[in-house]
Amino acid sequence: MFSRTALSRGAQLRQGCSLVAQRRGYAAGSSAPASFTYETSEQSSVKIAARNFDSPTTKLAIVAKGGSRYQPVPGLTAGLEEFAFKNTEKRTALRIIRESELLGGQLVSYHTREALVLEASFLREHLPYFTELLAEVISQTRYSSHEFHEEVDRVIQLKQVRLARDVSALALDSAHSVAFHTGLGAPLYPTPSALTKSYLNEFAIADYAGAVYAKSNIALVGDGTTSNALGKWTEQFFKAVPASSSSSTALNLKATTYYGGEQRTAHTGGNSLVIAFPGSSFGTFKPEIAVLAALLGGQPNVKWSAGFTLLSKAAAAAPGATATATNLAYSDAGLLTIQVNGAAASVRKAAEESVKALKSISEGTVSKEDLTKAIAKAKFDALEASQSGISTLLSAGSGIIHTGKPFQIAETVKLLDGVTADKLKTAAKGLTDGKATVAAVGDLHVLPYAEELGLKV
Amino acid sequence: MSYPSLAPFVMKRPWLQKIFKPLSNWYANTAGYRQLGLRADDLIIEENEETILALQRLPPQASYDRVYRLRRAIQCSLRHKLLPKEEWTKPEEDVPYLTPLIEKIRAQEKEKADLDAMTIVKNH
Repeated sequence: MFSRTALSRGAQLRQGCSLVAQRRGYAAGSSAPASFTYETSEQSSVKIAARNFDSPTTKLAIVAKGGSRYQPVPGLTAGLEEFAFKNTEKRTALRIIRESELLGGQLVSYHTREALVLEASFLREHLPYFTELLAEVISQTRYSSHEFHEEVDRVIQLKQVRLARDVSALALDSAHSVAFHTGLGAPLYPTPSALTKSYLNEFAIADYAGAVYAKSNIALVGDGTTSNALGKWTEQFFKAVPASSSSSTALNLKATTYYGGEQRTAHTGGNSLVIAFPGSSFGTFKPEIAVLAALLGGQPNVKWSAGFTLLSKAAAAAPGATATATNLAYSDAGLLTIQVNGAAASVRKAAEESVKALKSISEGTVSKEDLTKAIAKAKFDALEASQSGISTLLSAGSGIIHTGKPFQIAETVKLLDGVTADKLKTAAKGLTDGKATVAAVGDLHVLPYAEELGLKV
Repeated sequence: MSYPSLAPFVMKRPWLQKIFKPLSNWYANTAGYRQLGLRADDLIIEENEETILALQRLPPQASYDRVYRLRRAIQCSLRHKLLPKEEWTKPEEDVPYLTPLIEKIRAQEKEKADLDAMTIVKNH
């Protein structure tokens, strides 16, 4: 009745259907679409992560384990960041810029406390060109003296001047240094008062580049490209990149310990107070902390409204102040921060209210409604961050270089559902009973001490 | 090159080089700068953008030595005297130290001008 080919085609179709069904089932179970997850592979010992969606543009980034926590002496990470896309053995900086302009591409380099990122965004068909460019930049940059003196050093000094006026960044930096001392405690960008001059020169930067840009130390992350295509070009172009560190400089790989304490800095440019507690890290994700951060919140969800989170209520009591809670996650430590900015008196008032709000959570006064809202917000934040923006490349890349696999949103979202009021209460109690970190920058006559806020340091 | 020269043309042809080498040695010695302890690159005119930039890019030691040679030469010139013979610049010391830097700067300028003046041909 039926020909054999027709029968077998039916079988094939059914097989295809069941595959699709399986895939869909997995995605629905984890409540994150399959296209969110990165496909990882290793091509000639370079770790690659790619995810493909039908976009006409591609973002490609090299995420290297070379952020400010890994620099052996201050300023090297900033120097290396500025040296990206400068003269290489093959072509000049001018040619790199002009060529990528002609192709409509954009080149960016930036660093966080843990990662150093070189990123290129371009049209999909130009993948080979930009893969070659990134490989060339990390393996064949010249680090010449005149570029250091004429460009890199000047830009660093200008950025330092800008940073010196930014009180909220200064407060975050000093909170980190009090909380973690060295490593993660190193300032994100060398402050003007830091003695970088004696450490920072082109030779030290070139040495540091040898340690950072090794195959074992980087991940190549692509958004909007297939794993196969990326792998093919990586194999071809990443031959010149050394397999392991090729310099005498060693990265500062000391594990992080939380210390806590208080630091106060006088500043005329504004007022900022950071109250911080040990938070959740990439390695050991604590869902309570993520929910706690969402519950404290502070960022409004709609325009022209302060919002209804605990911190927005606290800030409403002190006009002119803003208070936001964030969990800053790193590979082996985290910092749950409450940052209050504004006029000195308002900052004091809002900080007092914020600590009261945190204590009320630890006493278990959180309503069921608020908890549901906070869990939903935490979920939304996690999923939204994984969907768009630069943080995706960064978080996937830092996941790979630190744990060997990208940060999986799906698992996170599942864990968030398991947070109960009791767990939240215990977590908050643990935080308020433990050692806190308080960093105040601004008018020290008005800004409160940790003891006045009722925190232990 | 920072001054007009036939040297590259001559250097490419060994037979021509054979003829001109003694001549150029004789010329350099007669020019008189070696007797004042100078090198050929010390004579490059400083008053233009490229040379100023190249001088800034000299390593500190090379820059110091250059200033020392110039001051010594000016001193000699004022006194209407030559240096004692053992202090003359030896031919093997008379190497171009500034010309390579100037050439690099020129190449960069040329590349910039070329990129500014290019026409894009689409191959599709």
